[in-house]
Amino acid sequence: MTTLLEIVQPSYLLFPALLGTLILGLVCPLVGSYLILRRTVFLGLTLPQIAAAGVAFTFWLQQTGLLPQLGQGEMGIAMFGSLAFTFLGMGLLGYLEQRGKGLAEGRLAAAYALAGGLTILFMVFNPAGQVEVLNLLKGEVIALSRGELQLLAGVFGLVFVAMLMFRREFLLTSFDRDLAFLLKGRQIIWDVLLYLLAGLIIAFGVIMAGPLLIFGFLVLPALAARPLVNRMSSFLALSSVLGLVMAFFGFYSSVRLDLPLGPTDVTLGCCLIFLAYALRRISPQRSLALIILSLIALWSPGCGSNIAPVPVPEAKTLGEKTVWLARVKNSTALTLLLPATNPLRSLAEMAGKVSSDYRQSVMDLLRESLKTELEQRGFRISLPEEKDARFAAFPADTGTAVRVAREGKLSGFAFVGEIRRWEVEAQKFVRVFVDFKLIRIDDGAVLWERRIQRAVPTPSATNLGQASADAVRDIVRELFAL
Amino acid sequence: MKYNRDVDEINSARESGLIPQPLPLVSLHDVSVGYDSAPVVQGVSLAIYPGSLIGLAGPNGSGKTTLFRAILGLLPSLGGSISRACPLSNFGYVPQSAALDPQFPLSASEVVEMGAYGRVRSYQFLPKSEKGRIREVLNQIGLPHLAGRSFFSLSGGQKQRMLIARALMVDPKIMILDEPLSGVDEESRKSITDLLIQLTREKNIAVFFSSHDLEMVQRVADGIVRVDHGQIQLEERKARLQP
Repeated sequence: MTTLLEIVQPSYLLFPALLGTLILGLVCPLVGSYLILRRTVFLGLTLPQIAAAGVAFTFWLQQTGLLPQLGQGEMGIAMFGSLAFTFLGMGLLGYLEQRGKGLAEGRLAAAYALAGGLTILFMVFNPAGQVEVLNLLKGEVIALSRGELQLLAGVFGLVFVAMLMFRREFLLTSFDRDLAFLLKGRQIIWDVLLYLLAGLIIAFGVIMAGPLLIFGFLVLPALAARPLVNRMSSFLALSSVLGLVMAFFGFYSSVRLDLPLGPTDVTLGCCLIFLAYALRRISPQRSLALIILSLIALWSPGCGSNIAPVPVPEAKTLGEKTVWLARVKNSTALTLLLPATNPLRSLAEMAGKVSSDYRQSVMDLLRESLKTELEQRGFRISLPEEKDARFAAFPADTGTAVRVAREGKLSGFAFVGEIRRWEVEAQKFVRVFVDFKLIRIDDGAVLWERRIQRAVPTPSATNLGQASADAVRDIVRELFAL
Repeated sequence: MKYNRDVDEINSARESGLIPQPLPLVSLHDVSVGYDSAPVVQGVSLAIYPGSLIGLAGPNGSGKTTLFRAILGLLPSLGGSISRACPLSNFGYVPQSAALDPQFPLSASEVVEMGAYGRVRSYQFLPKSEKGRIREVLNQIGLPHLAGRSFFSLSGGQKQRMLIARALMVDPKIMILDEPLSGVDEESRKSITDLLIQLTREKNIAVFFSSHDLEMVQRVADGIVRVDHGQIQLEERKARLQP
């Protein structure tokens, strides 16, 4: 299991993702603070949704042939759509604001609903590309490459510097527009600049991290900081610090518990808000003690040593008895068919969106690899379905597996596996959650079991099928401690 | 009161030509102000001189704030002309504290500091001289001990004095105060009016303030501008109003 110290090592596979999340956590709350203070917080919700509609729109255009296919340039296309729709949406909302028609909240709510609807419609129009669009909109910051990290650092660094440099102007125009006019003249330039910076981080952030995470980073740290401070400078600083805390511990929890990053971060951010209001009710000394205890509690299990996993037992410990190697059960919602040459079609097939002829699946590949490895180690391997065709689908839980094996008059041992999660992330790694068990059929005793739940790096994979094959190889290596 | 005697002496000296006539800081000639072409106040002609303390009296909704906004250039006038002898950055404006959003986490000193923003460049840290000036104006209003307190946790009177301090930070030639005594207890009223009188007498700053309390305005101001039903009446008391 990944420890707290492990994830801060530059050599760690997901280190770029950690840095990316920290950058989001540092910069987004600075902009979000002003959105909250100006009571335009729903802009932080609406703009990411508009950006998402832009991503779906450009992919649909590409599918219709109006935009060229750029191979690996999905990110660039998505970025273009996200930026174009964000600034178009901001311009339209600004125009309606100037016209002063209707309630500001009403306009934002309608824009949010429209953008959400359009996002879904554009995806429906483009079934072959649904998975890519969904992946982009899920915003897997976890799959951030070093190049994308550099782009993120550049854009967000620029926004960070601008937010610091023009903090007085942003404060003055937000707090007292009349005084801003008297001291600095027409203040529209500062409004435009602030919303431009917000649009920039939202358009880029949605592609890198998804709408949910961006909205979370924009508003949650600032909402948590607000009850704790009475100075603007402290408010901005604490918002950023809490953003960093949310980013770091959210990332750590996500990796450690194998949870999706966006929802984990957002949940943690909401916890920070409750904690902030709780801390406000107690004395500063007790608050400090509570914070230190919380950090120790988070740190301790994170730094703890790992229990060494047990490899598959030696063949001789089983005597000469047969090991029935069952088909690996697929408990995911996906078919996990290994893709053919067309990556777009294959993606849709893996998600079960379009029909396909028979192809080898991840489960097949995993069992073949296990069979080869077990046979090389001297196990007597048999396949249950060769004895009885009804064993093509073999249960994975111990009780049922033993009952079914006995009913089918199998004797010896059953080797069962179950895939609970198998997600290929942009060919860079595969998120896996697979259980294996070696069960003695006579008495139902579990002689060995192993759970592999982590991101398996697949750096050399050039397509999604190869990424799955590499992940299978890695899992088998781990099981046999190769 | 001593300052009344001083003003009377100055006025008689000016009338006798011993002291040269100063130029008005703001002159309004037949000005009409309002919203969407509908005038709220019409036919305003007045001039405000350095060192004068003028009260704008009238009931709520009579157009006092609208007239102030026009003088400050925040609202275009519907007719007439407004001329200013100093740039807008030399106007110290004190809005009603209730008009400011309590959502903002601001200390009193941060609010006062805003008055210096016109002089500080974006990339600069606040210079030491400005920090010294903040301490100076806080001493001037008698509230240096509240500098670190949350602005919105202060009492109504304290907030008004802090906003006056912010207006003083711009080194104003003229201060315009919108209902500075509204929602303020009697003790704070006295300290605020004393402060305004002191500013006109000692710093030669022109002060133009509004109130719906005519009696109080009559007690404090050198001259009174009464606004009612869209019309203006000028009442000269101790200083010059009409050019």
